[in-house]
Amino acid sequence: MKLKKMLAVGAVVFGFAAVYAQADTELEFWTMNLAPKFNDYFNKSVADFNKANPGLTAKWVDMNWDQIQPKLIASIAAGNPPALVNFNVPWVHDFAAQGNILPLDQYLGAAKNTYSVGAIKDVTVNGKVYAFPWYNSVSIIAYNKDILAKAGVKAAPKNFDEFVKDGQQITAKTGVPAYAPKLGNFVGWFYYAGLPVVENGKAVFNSPKHIAFVQKFADLYKAGVMPKDVFKVEFEQEIAAYNSGKIAMMTTAPQALKRTETDAKAVYAKTGVAKFPVDAGKMAFGAWLMDFVIPKGTKDPAAAAKLGVFLTNDESQVAFSKATETTFPSTKKGNLDPYFQAGAKSADAVEQGRAVAAQSMDNARTLTIPPGVLPDEAAMNKKLQDEIQDAVEGRKPVKAALDEAVAAWNEKLKK
Amino acid sequence: MKTSNSYTAIAYLFLAPALILMGLLTFWPVGYNTYLAFQDYSIADGTATWNNFANFKYIANEPLFWNALKNSALYLLIVPVIQLAALVVAKMVNNKLPGMTLFRALFYIPVITSISIAGVVWANVYKYDGVLTWLLQSLGLIHDQVNWLGEPSIALYMLMIFTFWKGIGYYMVLYLAGLQAIPSEVEEAAILDGANAFQRFWKITVPMVKPTILLCTLLSTIAAIKVYLEVIVLTKGQADTYTALYYVYDQAFRNYNFGRAAAAGVVVTFFCMLLAVIQFRFFGDKK
Repeated sequence: MKLKKMLAVGAVVFGFAAVYAQADTELEFWTMNLAPKFNDYFNKSVADFNKANPGLTAKWVDMNWDQIQPKLIASIAAGNPPALVNFNVPWVHDFAAQGNILPLDQYLGAAKNTYSVGAIKDVTVNGKVYAFPWYNSVSIIAYNKDILAKAGVKAAPKNFDEFVKDGQQITAKTGVPAYAPKLGNFVGWFYYAGLPVVENGKAVFNSPKHIAFVQKFADLYKAGVMPKDVFKVEFEQEIAAYNSGKIAMMTTAPQALKRTETDAKAVYAKTGVAKFPVDAGKMAFGAWLMDFVIPKGTKDPAAAAKLGVFLTNDESQVAFSKATETTFPSTKKGNLDPYFQAGAKSADAVEQGRAVAAQSMDNARTLTIPPGVLPDEAAMNKKLQDEIQDAVEGRKPVKAALDEAVAAWNEKLKK
Repeated sequence: MKTSNSYTAIAYLFLAPALILMGLLTFWPVGYNTYLAFQDYSIADGTATWNNFANFKYIANEPLFWNALKNSALYLLIVPVIQLAALVVAKMVNNKLPGMTLFRALFYIPVITSISIAGVVWANVYKYDGVLTWLLQSLGLIHDQVNWLGEPSIALYMLMIFTFWKGIGYYMVLYLAGLQAIPSEVEEAAILDGANAFQRFWKITVPMVKPTILLCTLLSTIAAIKVYLEVIVLTKGQADTYTALYYVYDQAFRNYNFGRAAAAGVVVTFFCMLLAVIQFRFFGDKK
C-alpha cells in the first residue's frame, strides 16, 4: 500500500513539475569539452540569464567535441535540435552550405558591431553571418632571452622576413634550432602571407611568390633553423622542445607559457614575450575561433539568439577568459579590459603573453579553406602537405613540388 | 533419447547469445558497410542513394588510395618475419628452466601495453636525436642523425619494427600453446635417432604446429593489411606511411564521405579475404 501511495504522490509531483517546466521555453546550449572545469562559470552564467529573461530557461550541456556533429545531425533529423551549439569555423561553413544552421543577421542587430572584424569575417558565409563569435586565441612568440642575447638578436622580429633572418642568425651563432613553427596546415601559412590558394575554381599556389615563400622554409630547414622533425611538431612537442632548451623560440598559443612556468622554471625565468609578426596577409597567426550557431528547426530562434548574444557579449566573454586564463574574447571592447592589458609591463611572461595576444586579436582569422571549396579535402590536403614536406626537407625542388600539387588539385577541382 | 535435430537446436540455443552479439556488432556493420559502398550517403539527413559504382570508380582513379594500398601490401613483409621469430621465441621459452615465466611475461608485456602509450615511447626512440640514433652513433654505425620517421625511404620499415615489437608476444603465446600439445616422446625419439636441434625444429616442431601457423599467419596478415593505429600514433601518414585503412579513416571522418570510405573498406576486405584463401590452400589440411 505504502509503495502505491508513494508512486501516486510521485506521479503528481512529476506531473506538476512537467507542466511547470512546459511553461518556460527551454533553451538548451551545447559546448565542447568545457565540463567539469568551467561548471562554476556556466552555472552562474545560466542563472544570470534566467533571472534577466523571465520565461526563458537556459540549460547547459557539455559534450566531447567529436560527439557534437553526430548528435546534432541526429537531433535535427528527429526535429528537436538544441537552441545553440558550440562550433568551430570550418563547421560553420560546412553546415551553412548544407543549410543546417540559420543565418543570424536579423537577430544580431547592433550586437554585430561589438565583435572584432576578423571574427565576423570568420563566420560570414555568402555575405551572411552564421554564428555568434565566442572565444579565440592567437600565437605569440616566447623566446629564451639567453640564447637570443648570445646570438646578438636585440629586438623581436617585426615582420616575417625579420623572423626568418633572426632565426638564421640564432642558429648560425648558437647552433640551436631557432624555432619549430607548426607546418601541419600549410594552407594557413599561404593565407598568412597574403597568398591565394584557390581562385576561380583553380589551384594557384605555384606562382613565383608562392615558390619564394616555401623556399624560405626550405632554406631554414637546410640551415638547421628548424629541427629535423619539424613536420611532426604539434602543440605538445613544441612546448617540450622549448622547455628543454632545444629551440630558442616558441611560436604558439599563450597558454603554452603556463606549461613552461610549471614544467621548466629555469627556462621560464629567462623567457621574453613578443607579438607574432604580421605579414602581407595582415592576419594574426594561430587563431581558432569558437562560436555558437543556431541549428535549423530550433523551436524559438529569436529566443536562442537572445541567449547567443548574452553568452558572447563583452561581459560574458571577459568573465569566461578570466575563468580559462588562456583564451581571449572575440569582441572589440573585451580585449581592452584591464584584465588583459594590465600585464603589458609585467615581468611575468604569462601576464605579458596575455597582453601581447589580446593586442593581436583584432587581426585574428581562422586560416583554413572553407569546407565545400575542395571536393576531396582529405586527399588534397594530404597531397599538398606531402609535396611541401618533400620540398622543405630538400627531397624535391620547391617549384616541382608545388607544380605537382597544383596539378593534382586542379585534376580534382575540374570534376 | 534425444534426436540429432533437438541436439542441434540446443547447440544453437547455447550459441545464440554470442551469435546475436556478433550479428549486431560484426555482421550487420559489414553488411551495411557493403551497402553504403554503392551509395551516396548524406550524413545530414541520413539518406542514401544508389550511385552506379561512382565510389569504386573514384577510388580506382585515386593515386593516393593505390599508394596507400601499396603501403599496406608492403606491410605484409612483416608476416613471415614475425611468425618465424615468434615460433623461435616460443620454442626457447618452452622449457622448464627456472625463471622462464619471467621471460614469457617480458615478451608479452608489449602486447598488453596500450598502443598510444607505446607510441609515445617509440616516438622518442625514433626521434632524430632519440635513443636509436644515440645507440647507433655510440656503436659507430652511423655518423649523422637520422630522422627515422621522416624519411619516406625508411619510415614504413620503422613502423614495421614497432609492430614486430608489439605483436611478437601475442603470437608467441599462441605458438606456446601449440608447442605444448606436441608429445615429448616424439622429440625424445628424434634425439635418440641423432637429429640435431635444427633438424628437430624443421622436421618435428614446424610440421606439428602447422594448424597454429595457419591461424597465426592468418591473424598477422589481416593485422598487417589493416595497419592503422601504428601510423596514427607514430607518423600520421607522413613520409609515405599512409596506409589503406588510413585512407578509409580520412574519407569517413575528415571528408564525411562515408560511401567512398565504405567502398575503400570493401576493397581492403576483398584483399584480406583473397590472402586468407591463399593461406588456407598453403597451410590448411588437404581433404
